[in-house]
This record gives sequence, C-alpha cells and structure tokens, in this order.
Amino acid sequence: MSCDREQITAHVDDALGDVAREAVETHAAECETCRVQLADERTLRARLRTLPSPELPFGLEQRVRARLKRRRRMSRATRVALPLAAALVVALWARGYAPFVAWELSRDHQHCFAMETLPAQVWGSEPEQVARWYGEQGDHLPLLPASVGGLSLVGGRYCPLPDVSFAPHLYYVSDEAQVSVFVVRHGVRMRDDYRRRVRGNAVALLRVGRDLVGVVGEDDDRVADFVSRLRTSVAALGEQEPSAARILRPSS
Amino acid sequence: MNREETFEAEVLPQLRPLFGMAYRLTGNAHDAEDLVQETMLRAYRAFDRYRPGTNARAWLFTILHRLRTDALRRKGRRPETVELVDDGPPVPPVHEESLTSGREDIVRALEGLPESFRAAVVLRDVEEFSYAEIAKILEIPVGTVMSRIHRGRALLRQTLSGRLG
Repeated sequence: MSCDREQITAHVDDALGDVAREAVETHAAECETCRVQLADERTLRARLRTLPSPELPFGLEQRVRARLKRRRRMSRATRVALPLAAALVVALWARGYAPFVAWELSRDHQHCFAMETLPAQVWGSEPEQVARWYGEQGDHLPLLPASVGGLSLVGGRYCPLPDVSFAPHLYYVSDEAQVSVFVVRHGVRMRDDYRRRVRGNAVALLRVGRDLVGVVGEDDDRVADFVSRLRTSVAALGEQEPSAARILRPSS
Repeated sequence: MNREETFEAEVLPQLRPLFGMAYRLTGNAHDAEDLVQETMLRAYRAFDRYRPGTNARAWLFTILHRLRTDALRRKGRRPETVELVDDGPPVPPVHEESLTSGREDIVRALEGLPESFRAAVVLRDVEEFSYAEIAKILEIPVGTVMSRIHRGRALLRQTLSGRLG
C-alpha cells in the first residue's frame, strides 16, 4: 500500500473495516510520514475533544422558553382563528345564496317536526297574539293569516340557522300535513320566486310584501297551494286595513 | 407527555451543544444565539416529524446547519471551501508538545479554518458524531465527510506547526 492520507484520517476515527485497517497499520509501521500523521491526528483529536465548550449566554434558556411560549400561543390562536374566519366567510357568502337558504329551511323544518312536541316558544292560533310575542322580542312579523288551505297557525319560535342568523319560524298544521313559514331577514340572491325540492321537502322562497318568506312542506302541491293562498290572504288582509302598514305591529 | 413536554424534555437539554456548534460556526455569541433561537423555533414547528427517542442531537444539528447555510446564501456567501490538490499542503511533522501547548492556539487555529472544514472537524472531534451522522447533518456523502475532516486536520496541523515550529 502506498501513502493514502485520507485512510489514515479514517483510521484515527475508527471508520475503517478490518481489511483496510490492517492495511493502514501495516503501511504505517513502515512509513514515517504516515506514522507522524497518525500520531498528530490522534493528539489533535484528543485536544479538540477536551476544549471547553463556549459559555452559554446568561438567560439563553429562559429566552428560548419564552420565545417558544409566544410561538405556542400564536399557533394556538391561528388554529382557532383560521377555521373560525373561514367558517364566517363561507356563512356570509352562503347567507344570500338561494339554494343554501332553501337547504337551511328544509333542514330546520325537518328538525322541528321530528320532535315529539314542537319546540315552539310561543303558542297561539291568533296571528295578532303571535305577532305580539315577536314584537316583545323587538321584531315585526309580516301580515300572516290564521289559516291557509286547511292548515292553521299553532305557534312559532326563533330558529338558529347555520348562516348565523335567527329566523322567525311559524308552524301551520292540519290533521294530515305540516307546513313551516320562515321569515328570512337577510337578502337572498334570486330574481323571481325560488322553488326546489331540498332534503325531501318542497321549499318555496317568495316575497310577501317587503318580506322574504320561506314555505316548507313535504308535498309539492300542498306547498304550491299554500303559497298562492298565502299571497291572496295577505293581499286581502292588506285591503281590509288600507291605513295599516303591511306589517302587523304588536298592539300596544 | 404532551407535545410541549416531549419537546422540552428532548430538545432543551441540547441547548449547550447547539450553542457550542453555533458559536464555532459564527464566531460570536450574538449570531450564535440568533442561530440557536431560530433552530429551536424551526425544530418546534417540525417536531411532528421527529420520532421521540431517536437521535435528537443529530436532528437538531441538521436543522442548525441548514439554517446556517441558508443564512450564508442569503448574504451571498457560500461556506468557503479550499480546493486542495491531492492531499493538501505538505505538513511537516509536528512535535507533540506543539499540539498540546495552548488551548487558545488550537481555538484560534480552528477559527481560521474554512467553515466547511471547521464544521466537519467540530462535529467529529468535539461532538463525537460518526461519519454517517455527519454526512446526514451536512447533507454530503460520507466520502466528502472523510476528506473534509482530513483536510481540516491537515490545515490545523500546518497552522500549529507553522507557529511553533
């Protein structure tokens, strides 16, 4: 073997296999230069190993901990805030989107009528009486009839909707059917009336006076019939009281 | 143990060796602290990818080295290397006492090494990493690790013998 200085280095570091190590040792025994290198590197290595490590700056560990803590707080905030912000953006965008509104109303209709007892906050078959309750909540209901096409008003409540709004929800029932009337307070992007079957229910979104109303029921024909009768009776109510606003205000 | 506790248990004890390495690379306490802080933050962010119980020290040194390389690149500097022909400069035999004489001399000689050689020598001779571990940390082949250590030591021997010889 001739001089291979890198092999000597590797030998000092115990990084050689048996055969290579033996070859280096045999060679070094006969070669002064390599022997010196071997000894020098070993000495150097021993000296380097015992060098004192640079002194840790005072308070470094505390500063590292503090920075990690800040970082943790920030990432926790991001974990919570980001999905929240995203949900809010989606809700705001979806809020005026007719198919989404129809989906929300259909879902809530199903939810309420699936219960053993209706979750009404106000019971009553008189529209004035029901309207008075909403008035006490600081809300004005549109002029609604006591009964439409055989279905009678029984009560209502406020429904929390996924778009972060609360919609007045009125229950109309007969022996064989149930219909929900929702008053949607925010604008909905639609040109004419919107009718669709959503989640197994017929949904109609329509303007009644200044209000946007959603009608939901299981049967298409019944909902269509309810909508046309609602329009007629609201118009008739309006004619009976020409001086009254088209909104039924709570009587004081 | 939750994520924070595991991190503190595995990573914080490595602060001293990390700072030592950072100091030997940057040459001053201020830059060394910045480098260590950055390393800790980066390690915290990447901690999900770390398998507890494996070699935390080697993992942290890899992060530290990568940050150092990035910082030098941003400054438009590469860690300098010295192209040595064949086996490098002829090294006259060094008397043992010159290698054992003063710590300051060795520290100064180490500081005078090109950074890529210094990193390899420190990882091997101070931190006691194996060639394979150093190859991972510096992201270079094992053969290059060997050659950098060899050349680094050759330059150290030359410096020390030149002064004292």
